[in-house]
Amino acid sequence: MTDFLTPFLMQSAVQAITPILLASLAGVLCGRVGVFNMALEGQMLIGAFAAVVGSYFAHSAAVGVLAAIAATIAFSLILAYGATVFRGDAVVICIGMNLLASGLTAYLLRAMFDVSGTFSDPSLVGLSRIRVPVLQAIPILGWGFARQTAITWGAWVLVVIVTLLLFKTPTGLRLRGVGEEADAAETLGVDVRRYRVVTVLASGALVGLAGAQLSLGAVTVFAEDMTAGRGWIAVVAVMLGRGHPVYSAAACALFGFADAVGLRLQGQGLPNQLTDIAPYVVTLAALALSHRRARAAVSA
Amino acid sequence: MSAVGRLRPPPALVAIVFAVLVGGALVLVSGANPIQAYAAIVGGALAPDNLPNTLNWATPLVGMTLAAAIPLRGGMINLGGDGQMVVGGLVGATASLLLPAPGPLAATLALIAATVAGGLYAALAAWGQIRFAIPMLISSLLLSYTAVGIVSYLVRFPLRDTTTGLPQTALVPVAARLPTLVGPVNAGMLVIAAVAALVIVIDRRAVIGYELRMRGLNARFAGYGGVRLDQQALGAMFASGAIAGLVGAIVVLGGQFRFIDGALLTPAYTWSGLMAALLAGGEPVGAIAAGLFFAALQTGGFAMQRETSVPRVLTLVLQAIVILFLAMRHGLGKRSS
Amino acid sequence: MAIPELEAIGIVKRYGAVLANDHVDLSVDSGEIHAVMGENGAGKSTLMSILYGLQPPDEGRILLRGVEMRFGSALDAIAAGMGMVHQAFKLFASLTVWENIVFGAEPVRTVFTDRGKARREVAELAERHGLGVDPDAKVWALSVGVRQRVEILKALYRRARILILDEPTAVLTPQERDGLFAVMRRLAADGRTILFVTHKLNEVMAITDRVTVLRDAKVVARMKTRETTVGEIIRAMTGRNVDLQIERGAAAPGALKLEVEGLTIGSPGGRPLVDGAVFAVRAGEIVGLAGVAGNGQNELVEALVGLRRPDAGEVRIAGASVGEADVAGHRAAGLAYIPEDRASVGAALGADAADNFAMGFQRDPPLSRSGWLDPGAMAARARALIDKFGVRIASEHAPASSLSGGNLQKMVVARELSHAAPVLVAEQPTRGVDIGATEFIHGQLVAERDMGHAVLLVSAELSEILALSDRVLVMYEGRILADVPRAQASEEALGLLMAGRTAIS
Repeated sequence: MTDFLTPFLMQSAVQAITPILLASLAGVLCGRVGVFNMALEGQMLIGAFAAVVGSYFAHSAAVGVLAAIAATIAFSLILAYGATVFRGDAVVICIGMNLLASGLTAYLLRAMFDVSGTFSDPSLVGLSRIRVPVLQAIPILGWGFARQTAITWGAWVLVVIVTLLLFKTPTGLRLRGVGEEADAAETLGVDVRRYRVVTVLASGALVGLAGAQLSLGAVTVFAEDMTAGRGWIAVVAVMLGRGHPVYSAAACALFGFADAVGLRLQGQGLPNQLTDIAPYVVTLAALALSHRRARAAVSA
Repeated sequence: MSAVGRLRPPPALVAIVFAVLVGGALVLVSGANPIQAYAAIVGGALAPDNLPNTLNWATPLVGMTLAAAIPLRGGMINLGGDGQMVVGGLVGATASLLLPAPGPLAATLALIAATVAGGLYAALAAWGQIRFAIPMLISSLLLSYTAVGIVSYLVRFPLRDTTTGLPQTALVPVAARLPTLVGPVNAGMLVIAAVAALVIVIDRRAVIGYELRMRGLNARFAGYGGVRLDQQALGAMFASGAIAGLVGAIVVLGGQFRFIDGALLTPAYTWSGLMAALLAGGEPVGAIAAGLFFAALQTGGFAMQRETSVPRVLTLVLQAIVILFLAMRHGLGKRSS
Repeated sequence: MAIPELEAIGIVKRYGAVLANDHVDLSVDSGEIHAVMGENGAGKSTLMSILYGLQPPDEGRILLRGVEMRFGSALDAIAAGMGMVHQAFKLFASLTVWENIVFGAEPVRTVFTDRGKARREVAELAERHGLGVDPDAKVWALSVGVRQRVEILKALYRRARILILDEPTAVLTPQERDGLFAVMRRLAADGRTILFVTHKLNEVMAITDRVTVLRDAKVVARMKTRETTVGEIIRAMTGRNVDLQIERGAAAPGALKLEVEGLTIGSPGGRPLVDGAVFAVRAGEIVGLAGVAGNGQNELVEALVGLRRPDAGEVRIAGASVGEADVAGHRAAGLAYIPEDRASVGAALGADAADNFAMGFQRDPPLSRSGWLDPGAMAARARALIDKFGVRIASEHAPASSLSGGNLQKMVVARELSHAAPVLVAEQPTRGVDIGATEFIHGQLVAERDMGHAVLLVSAELSEILALSDRVLVMYEGRILADVPRAQASEEALGLLMAGRTAIS
């Protein structure tokens, strides 16, 4: 097993999971408060671009991360207000946001840096890795975390924080209530609108972190549409995990693991197009197996 | 209240004006002249010389608009257009390579095969909802990524034309290619136009059109009235995927004459078509109008990039702004289910 | 003379052009059980939502113990001591009883919810007021009566001095209702004040001290319950004398039209929702299906109509077994259905009247031929039905959303009756409908019976069942407990059956 799952492989896997994990936490929070967030892909792209812009002009990864968070929160205002105050259809708004993110980042890439396709520059400062030598001795799991960015560590800590928040604090209780029966929450004096807006914006910050990890975490580069479906995989992970932060995180880990295994098998001749689709196929199968047969009642 | 006070401009128009203003600001940011940029878009789309280009772009875009509009009319959403389109494109290319047949028959058979293949693949998503309670929103998307991956693999390995170094199939036999009309416009345009007419007529005057529209307004009402909802979902998705598959085959047999990996997806016909359909709530005539508008916008965008060096992705940004504006201010897209 | 506990003076509220409250005055003393009565649309709900701070009045003042209050939100009202139990419960089904009760006012320990303290306080409160609940039970698993207790506890947890109960007995058995009345008396004796919003006359007479009657947004009467009569209250509510009993002759039942045998619908991991139901309806009779909501009536009706496939048993319509058929099949066999929810099931509000009237008929001539519609025929049919049933709508092309509740129900009834089907299933046909339309619909149901059709009337309104039925079936926990002929059907007898007690001495 250990020569199949090499230290390098585990490290890449954990690194790759990070953006998806953060995005899925964001998806969990939005879902729990009653806003269906399908715009994770677009939000992550905005974050990735803003991180590169911040890092480029300030020559600092930290500024890049802050820029990513700020930009994604601003971008998330569209969903936050669109789906609550303006009562728009969350699905349509999310589709629009994804397309806006794709077009806007591509446009600004050309307008600001005069390149198209990808942008990389020596003055870009990437995120530094935290080395924990003792972990190198622990096979598989230890290898995964021996050299990761602060964001990666933060992501897993956030899983714990979000879980505690949702299930052990008054804020979490109210958040869940708002998502389940907004009417009931309203009559008990809980401001539904405020909870939804704040939650969407806060989760936007999480996706901003995801974007920063994506463009500054491994190779420091921005490429058009570089999120390449990771946001959608996060949406799927939230579905598989039924909106529970720990189960969604487990789903992310499952996907990351499958991806890593796929990469390994690639080296043995399995074409990457087929391994790329593994998360989607796995999810379809899992959804099919976990849903009982639709009732005899005719459903819409 | 005076009559003038009650006159409010149609929301779509306000949205477009808003988008134009925001777009103009973006153009200024990149250091160019907005007026010039927009003039280039309009000229690039509608000038008589450029019209064939616009029509050629409009053909697949309006096709994908129709594909998205049909389920939307019934309150369902098909996000799998990309997958259905490439399935159709590959089946069309392969069918024409494998079935030796004279002239128009070859093309016709290939188109039919592509249509059926796309339809079946889309129906799979509906079946996922009926049998496994997987929302069509999710299953159509997941299946789409899967199809794109499998088709990509097939084109790069078993079906690859090894004489070229590129991920593409062999050239389609001349007999199977769609005849050219003017410039880049081929007979595929007529096919899509005919499909559009058919969709409009069915929506307005056929029983199944009525039943689909009622489902879109209130699915429980339709079911209670005796409409067979499961069959209807399968049918609507089949029709949707069939058109998407047809579009794929038309692009392959009418323009590129081979299936090139990724070429069907780069122009983003599916998403633009979906947005056009959403703008009209699935209503065919409105959706087609929106689709034509987007096609003109995007074709103009190419011209704008050539002439003013403003990146053409601006047009996609404009589209997104229009959609977001309408979604937020006018409850666009609120579906019954 | 003590200061009134609650006073509303000159309350005015408009929704656009509609005046919902027209200078309404209300005065309630401490320790009083005060009924607020009126028909649907009289203004009761609006007034209550204003008193609870959910919306501000356009004009008028609210005084609590002589002090003027301005409520910016429900939170303000709660802080001032108002509590409200809504007709449709506002509970979080997936959360526990204690979570529901302390929601929004949670005890905290550092930054976490103090679960222990919350549970203790809930248990104490329940004990003190005689409202037995299990703090850790999940609400989705609770019966309606227990859920109501949770709602009341929610208000008491927030130290409500004034409790507004909005149609609290609509979903209770007569015995559960008596339990609620005991709780109400205990709270009143404890010094709390209760506003009892209802349209049920006998309950008002039984438990209240005073009555305020609203009609057409105005207060039309104020009386002491002891000094008034049912007739006087009805006159105030409707402005005329209304005879609740329908004139009808005896039934003359003919052939079996609807037969149900051993119908069973299971539910995963629990008691079956419908448990071997057996009954029949003949041509020319109205059979009422009584029972507290939630005892399997919905599922039974779904199986009768074809919206749900039963796990066992058989349904025969006009002699022919419908087997595994879907709605279209059941309708073809000869069944028409007035659904409980006219807006969500019985109509498409976004479509026009012509489209709405066509549903169910679209596949046959004259509305269509070989798959193609005839819009002219659709419009003509709509016009004819609008005239015949007196549906108040601008034209057949006006959207269904423009119809009032009563007229929308008339549209649904008109459409279903025009099938002239041998079997008619009518589910809560006059819920939320004004008295005029109710009388009309009741008349139509009797006419159907006299035409020789079989009518199954499913209703939670005992008065409706008693007024119309030739026979009454009582459903309890998925079983048909009894088949009671008209002569023996009294509210008391049916009430016992509805609570599961078969009437043996």
